Amino acid sequence: MDRLRSLLSIEAAVWDTRRMASTQPLRRTTTEGDVQTEDAVETKKPWNVIVWNDPVTPMTVVVVILRKIFGYSNNKCTQLMLAVHHEGRALVWSGHRERAESYCVKLQVAGLQSTIEQDT
Amino acid sequence: MAGSKVFTRRRDGRVEVRMNEHGRSVVRSAFANVLAAERDPDHEWHVSLSGPIDPSLDQDNPVSMLARQTETSTNAELASLTVDEQFLNDAEAWVWLTTLQVALRSTAQTNGLHNDEQLAAADEEMLSYVRTLQSLLFDLAACF
Repeated sequence: MDRLRSLLSIEAAVWDTRRMASTQPLRRTTTEGDVQTEDAVETKKPWNVIVWNDPVTPMTVVVVILRKIFGYSNNKCTQLMLAVHHEGRALVWSGHRERAESYCVKLQVAGLQSTIEQDT
Repeated sequence: MAGSKVFTRRRDGRVEVRMNEHGRSVVRSAFANVLAAERDPDHEWHVSLSGPIDPSLDQDNPVSMLARQTETSTNAELASLTVDEQFLNDAEAWVWLTTLQVALRSTAQTNGLHNDEQLAAADEEMLSYVRTLQSLLFDLAACF
């Protein structure tokens, strides 16, 4: 009987230690890690290049300019042009800020109304 | 200018320009205006050439603004220099297209043509000028 009690107490101690070990990583003593993670996500948000609609630019001109600047297929450029025409704007490229700014300048030099904005 | 195509891509890769003197004068004036507007802050088209890049900032990156100004001027200069040519190479045809497009949009912005209704309500002379530039651009875009 004593031997059985002894075995049971050892078993309980082992189980208790395991339970402690399994709950250890979930303990929270600070929110610092969470804040750092939020910051890291913030800086990775891409920058979008937007082309805006206007009432005078011929549709084929928009297609040609998008194809020349981004090298997209004719089909993709046509879809983007239609998005500009029907929705008033279209996201034509997304990525690092410097490249977005450079593409935006190229589009403006080509005569399209374009801006950049950070993804929300 | 009506009837046959004004711009045709030839088999040797060049773009042929079939334009009478009136057409040349319209194009010459458009190129000259873009060039002047880029250089003169008081030109009526100047504002339309300096739209925001990142509207969330009070002022855009000066390097990007300078790049835009330089490239627009260079394009308009090359377009002006080739305005009397009968044949254009690819680079020349491209600067014709972009400079005509800049002229078209600047005309629209300066005259308050921001939507279809305002365009439809524009006076006959303005509408005729816009249609002429659109027609040239439509033709030239087909060469690319």
